[in-house]
Amino acid sequence: MTTMTDVATAHERALVRRRRVEQARGVGRTLLLAAALVFFLAPVLWIAMTAFKTQREVFSFPPVFIPETIDLRHFRATLSGTGGRALRDSMIVATSATGLSLLVGVPAAYAISRFRIGGAHLPLWILSIRMFPPVVAAIPLFLLYRQIGLLDSYLGLTLAYLTFNVPFVVWMMKGFFDDLPRELEDAALVDGANRWQAFVRIALPLAVPGLVSTALLCFIFAWNEFLMALFLTRSNVITLPVALSSLVGGSQILWGQIGALAIVAIIPVVLIAILLQRYVVRGLTLGAVKG
Amino acid sequence: MSAVTDERAAEPAFEVDLGGGGRPSRRRLPAFAWWMVLPAALILFAITLYPLIYSLRISFFRYDLTAGVEPVFIGFENYRRLLFDDARFWGSLWRTLYLVVAGIGIQLVLGTFLASLLARLQRYRALITALVLVPVMMAPVVVAVQGMVVYNAQYGPLNYLLNRMGLPGLVWLGDRSIALQTILLTDVWQWTPFVAIILAAGMSSLPADLYEAAEVDGANRWQMFRRITLPLLQPLIIVVVLLRLMDIFKMFDYVYVLTRGGPGSATETLSYYNYLQGLQFFSFGYAAAMSFVQIIILSVVAALLVRRIRGGFA
Repeated sequence: MTTMTDVATAHERALVRRRRVEQARGVGRTLLLAAALVFFLAPVLWIAMTAFKTQREVFSFPPVFIPETIDLRHFRATLSGTGGRALRDSMIVATSATGLSLLVGVPAAYAISRFRIGGAHLPLWILSIRMFPPVVAAIPLFLLYRQIGLLDSYLGLTLAYLTFNVPFVVWMMKGFFDDLPRELEDAALVDGANRWQAFVRIALPLAVPGLVSTALLCFIFAWNEFLMALFLTRSNVITLPVALSSLVGGSQILWGQIGALAIVAIIPVVLIAILLQRYVVRGLTLGAVKG
Repeated sequence: MSAVTDERAAEPAFEVDLGGGGRPSRRRLPAFAWWMVLPAALILFAITLYPLIYSLRISFFRYDLTAGVEPVFIGFENYRRLLFDDARFWGSLWRTLYLVVAGIGIQLVLGTFLASLLARLQRYRALITALVLVPVMMAPVVVAVQGMVVYNAQYGPLNYLLNRMGLPGLVWLGDRSIALQTILLTDVWQWTPFVAIILAAGMSSLPADLYEAAEVDGANRWQMFRRITLPLLQPLIIVVVLLRLMDIFKMFDYVYVLTRGGPGSATETLSYYNYLQGLQFFSFGYAAAMSFVQIIILSVVAALLVRRIRGGFA
């Protein structure tokens, strides 16, 4: 016969067991997460360590995990040569590509958001441009640039980067403008402001968070881009990805310097990722996920 | 708005928006609106539409820079050669499709799993998300350079690790039968976190009461995942698939840095072969034709997916 106390203790025991299972699961999840972190970060740490290794330490087996001397000699060496030029060129191209795409993209985004120019299909059509394989645009641009002398120039590469950054800006900023209430602009219009003033003085300041995150993502896209740069530049303009790819393709491969340059290329994007986490998800999904 | 709503369930807080909807205004548009879009329209025309049209034109020409002669109109000859006479093209197409299918499959499974871990985090979620985001933000070229060090058959840490576990090391990049899998592994490494972070964002916005109700009904974890999480996340999953499809389809950087399409043509992808025809063999007409075939394949697949998103999921 079961009494009340039996039922109570059975129930308690079940609760305890459940809590134990929950705890074990919690530990399991933590371990799995730790394993995932190791899997995704260890390679990055490895290339970072390479930046401090001597050539002998790179070519040893079993591999050297912690290099003997930690100093910045490889950073200095690469930044005073090709690496420094590449850093400068990447800065120039990524910054001007970002600036230009905002300059033409933001007004367009505002007009599309507020006046629905082109109806429902224009935004999607603009977005689809961004999805094209870059090789498709790179070949005709190469031929075109060859004729008008834009090959291997800052302007040429910057313009080429607008192919993916302008659609990105239009699409993202349209989303951000859509999120803003129109009432403030309407009020300004009633008060005698013209459309341009309503845009510049009211809508734009309110869209600054979106603007900043869009700009930083544009910067990263240009910073990381490789194929267009490979097609459209030679020796005048050398961006970081191109410099890195040619350094590992050479006959005498200086791994220490390559590691150092890789770190130089990684740092800005990682900082941006940490600063902008929330917007990064929205940006990388092209606004499909509003985080 | 084409936000996905499900009458039976509370609406998840994320929103999948791929345009569409929105009533076009019947009013006459003010000149202001046209001036605002004009610069973007001009630039997009000049750097995307014009090259595309130009490219379409030369795809009907024999336009070889090496031959040193003027372009010759040859009709559909480039397309005929490409589709019926070029085993290398078909090889690169199948390889690319393999990478797309295998890559998306693996990344969805691993990403969903990682997402479920991330979504349950109470503390340090922002920090861990930021750490996991590092591979995603890195330039693919940097990832590939890092791969050269990690995959190195003689001195690399990966083979060292395998040896320590009592397994033989692999020739990750130099072996015909492995190199393509190594490229796949590289993509999985870089993009699984991307899938995971997006799905985690979706998961944590799902209504908790659904799970509580399911628990009361005696559903186990798998049933809850299968019957609640997956259906509610489906729109998001399709967006992820779409984005990954576009990205893997144009895979170039890893291949260029890690293998140059080799050994032989074991890792040649569409974009890489297209690059070879264009910038290495200078057969621009042929390369342009290949670009168009790529666009057509990609558009068809993407249109099917987008239609699924817009058409709802009933």
